[in-house]
Formats: sequence, C-alpha cells, structure tokens
Amino acid sequence: MTRWCIFLVMVLAGLTVASLALGDVALSWRDLWKTLIGAQDADPQNAMILYDLRLPRVLLAVLVGAALAVAGTITLAIMRNPLAEPGVLGINSGAAAAVMAVIVLLQDPPMLLLPAAGFLGAAAMAAAVYLLSWRGGTSSLRIILIGIGLGSLASAATTFLSAFGEIGDVQRAMIWLAGSVYDADLVKVRFLLAWLIVPLALAWMATRELDLIRFGDETAKSFGQPVDRVRGFMIVLCTLISGAAVAAAGLIGFVGLVAPHVAGRLVGPAHARILPVAALCGAILVVAADLVGRLIIAPIQLPAGIVTGLIGAPFFASLLWKRHHARG
Amino acid sequence: MPEDEHTVPAKLVAQDVAIAYGDHRIVADLDLLLPERRFTALIGPNGSGKSTILRSLAGLKAPSPGSILLDGRSIETLSTREMARRVGVLLQGPVAPDGLTVRDLVQHGRYPHRSLFGRWSEGDQSACDEALMLTGMTTLADATLETLSGGQRQRAWIAMTLAQHGDVLLLDEPTTYLDLAHQIELMNLITILVRDHGKTVVAVLHDLNQAARYADHIVLLKGGKIRAAGPPYDVISQEAIAEVFGVRSLVIRDPVAGTPLCIPL
Repeated sequence: MTRWCIFLVMVLAGLTVASLALGDVALSWRDLWKTLIGAQDADPQNAMILYDLRLPRVLLAVLVGAALAVAGTITLAIMRNPLAEPGVLGINSGAAAAVMAVIVLLQDPPMLLLPAAGFLGAAAMAAAVYLLSWRGGTSSLRIILIGIGLGSLASAATTFLSAFGEIGDVQRAMIWLAGSVYDADLVKVRFLLAWLIVPLALAWMATRELDLIRFGDETAKSFGQPVDRVRGFMIVLCTLISGAAVAAAGLIGFVGLVAPHVAGRLVGPAHARILPVAALCGAILVVAADLVGRLIIAPIQLPAGIVTGLIGAPFFASLLWKRHHARG
Repeated sequence: MPEDEHTVPAKLVAQDVAIAYGDHRIVADLDLLLPERRFTALIGPNGSGKSTILRSLAGLKAPSPGSILLDGRSIETLSTREMARRVGVLLQGPVAPDGLTVRDLVQHGRYPHRSLFGRWSEGDQSACDEALMLTGMTTLADATLETLSGGQRQRAWIAMTLAQHGDVLLLDEPTTYLDLAHQIELMNLITILVRDHGKTVVAVLHDLNQAARYADHIVLLKGGKIRAAGPPYDVISQEAIAEVFGVRSLVIRDPVAGTPLCIPL
C-alpha cells in the first residue's frame, strides 16, 4: 500500500511538472526552477504563465480528479454494483440540465452562476432520486433504476433546451459541459479545496462503514449498521464531492468509475486503502487527460472530459469482458 | 438429550406474529418460544416460512402485527447496533468482496462494539482470536475467502458472527452446499457453542435426521404455522411427517445417537 502510494505520488509529481513545463510556450527545466524558487533573474512572463495559467490548472485537475475518484468509490460501495458511478445518482444529468437552462433561458448569465447552477442541479437530482426510491427503506437496485430514469428525463430536458436555444448559447453550454479545467484560477482552486475538505475528511473517517455496507443490506444490518442512514449520509457526501467537481470542471466522465476499480485491484478490498489510492489515481487521470488534451492537437485544446472518455470507454469494455469471462 | 421445557427459560419469543411481504402473507398467528442455551432447529417444507421467521427473529423483517422479545424485551426498542451485540445472524449465501481475508472478515464482526472513532482494542483482538480458534480457522486466517472450500468459507462466516459476541446465533440453512464431513463438523461446532459457551442457537435445517440428531428443540412448521414444537422425540413422528411433508415414513430409534430417525417409505 505504502509502495503504491509512493509510486502514484511520484507519477503525479512527474505529470504535474510536465504540465507546468509543457504547452504553447515550453519552459526549460532551468526556467521552471528559477520561476518556482522566485530567482531574481527569472522572466516575469514565465511567472505569469506558471502562476496564472498552468499551476491553477494542474491544481484544479488534481482536486477534481481526486474528488471524482472518492465520490466514485463511495458510490461503488453503497450501490454494490461494479458499473455504478456518481452519474447513477443523477448528478451529471442534473448539473447538465441546470447549466443548459441557465445559459439558454437567461440573457448573459454571470459566469459565477454556472457552477452554482451546476451544483444545485446535481444536488436536486440526487435528492429526487433518493426520495423517489424510498419505500420504507432504500435498495441500491431501486436507486440505480430510478437514477437512470430521472437521468434520461433530465437529458431529454437538456436536449429540448439545446434544440430551441440560441446557437451561441448552446455552444457555450456545450463547452462548459464538455468537462475541462481550462478556465482555472487560484480563487477557484481555493474555493474548491475549502469546499471539499470537510466531506473528504468525513469520507475518510467512514471507511469502516463503506467496508460493511458492501456486504449487502441484510448482512450489514445484522452486524449493527443502520444501513439506510449510512446510505443516505453517503449519498449526501457523494453529492457534495462530485457535485462540486462537476460545478468546477463540467462533466469529466469515467474517472469516478475507473479510479476505484484500479485502486481495488492495486491494494485490495479495504476502503482505508482504496480511498487514498483511488484519489491519487483520479488525480493522475485528470492531470494526464488535461496534459494530453492540451498537447495532442495543439494549439487546439481538447477538453479533459473528452480524453478521459477516450481512456474510459475501452476500460469499461474490458471490465464487462472480464466479468463475462469470470462467470464462464 | 432429555429436557423439561418448563425449567428452561425462553431466550427469544415470537408473540402473536404475522409476517407479510407486500400482500403476500407468509406467517400468521405465530407464537414461538426458543429455549435459552439450547440448539433449536426450525424445520418444514419449502415455503413453510422458516427463513422468514428467522429473519424476523433477527430483526431484519419487522412483524406486523406482533412482536419479538429478546430476554423479555421487544427488539423494536433495541437499536440496530445493540441488537447486533446480542444476536449474530448468518444468512444464506452471504457475499464478500474479492480479496478479503478470513481475518478481515472476522474483524468486521466487531463493528457493533466499536464507536465511530474507536480504535481496535485488545478486547476486539481477543474476540477475533477466539472466534478463529473455535471455528478452527486460525491457520487459515490470512487466506482470502475465494481460495477456501465451501466448508471453510462457511466456518469463516460463522467466525465473523462469533466475533460479534452475541449470546444468540441465528443460522439460515448453514449446512446447505456442504459435504457430509463439513456438515458434521458444523453440527459439532454448534453443539460446543451451546454446551460449553452458553449460546442459544437457532438454525433453519433441511435435513430432518440431522435436526433430530443434533438439536435439543425442534420446531416443525407448515404454511407459516407451528405443527409441533419440543424435544425431537415429541416432534418427529410418522403422523407429523406425513402431514407436514406428505411423505410416508418409518420413524425408528437411531442406533447410534438414540434420537428419532426418519426413513421415507
């Protein structure tokens, strides 16, 4: 576990340095070092590139990736379904519908309204999914089915709005939704960090609950876990975490699905180990996706969400393939 | 095993219990006494409500109307955690995540004794060690569950419920899918738990003769109702078997254990 953590931290550090150095204006190691330590003869333009553009961007990618991975780990445990990710709770489709509505229906909405709308849409959908699936208790299958149902309803609303909205507005919404960390700044990074710190700490303290709820409702209950309360609490945590990530960076898919599975394969089934490793994997994925997206067809920037989709789809397929073959 | 029912206090009591799933009523007007420090077997044909009753006794399915009393107190007044400290449950076909070791599994059994921030204590450790020892799983503690045989896996799950340290153990068909040697091993373990550790064990069993041989008390069920309850010799009779299972049989004395032995004709 410690070895994997060290290895992943080193990979993340390497990717971070690469993200700081590479881009339209490549910085040499020497320039990068000088700027970082604030040497006297450092080029002020380099400082601008580093501190105003690249550093916030990579930090935001780290936070968003870790948040999506932790939310994915929680969802996987409480839903006990290998294909469950936070999107199942309606978080993505809710955020998308709310953002599309704000951009299309309001004339020139202030930029700050978009993340707020995204978060509220996500939270409202998660609450609706949970409440509608309540029938004297919850069941993970019911939550998944209702989540899929409400999700497609919200997607229909999004499509409807985009079909009748101004083309310029719709394009703005699509760019926002594509999932990217391009408009990062340090204010946004600080805000996201402050927002995430409490729910992430709570998730970290609740790893034992996650370990137990994964055994199934009845078994967990027979071991004294108040299953419905724990699941409700976890859904709130999940919404706070992934809702904020979506609000900050739009829809970056597959990280919440891939990271927990990779972590589980690396360090075994205990959540005290999975959670930090998944967070590192998520951070690595989004930083790498952003880096690749920036470089692959430069100067055009590919949003990180599209790159993670490109990585995630084959992974998804291999997951299905393995399960299929595991059953014989 | 001779037993005078009136001298043995009831540990678990079902009082005027009805249980339904939706509109489908499975159990009605059930009054059940489960003697303390005894091994009770629930037997009956498929659909007779055995597992449902066990679930209800475990607090996993609330009866309506009616109540379940544990040591004379309704389990509705107990929190999930408190209930788990006193009653261990092993349901059919429990599933564990891949890569879990026996030790990990057994340690989860300490959940109801630990607070949210509680550290792993010496008490927790000794409870786990004892559970592993009783089930003979000490040497396999570091094996992952998927590498074990069915019998070993079942013992690992029983160790998990033993680590809970409840004085009641509810087992739903614990011997199903086990070969003969493992079935006998499990029955012997239950006997030890009851006789030497003062546990009250209630198990749903399919094998009549197994129940008759090992249980102190048998509850014979049909259609959600009790057909007979008491020591094996009072319950297992040719008439009862014919009525409940629709099978003609000969009940003789088991030449080894002296318990009733039912031979279908």
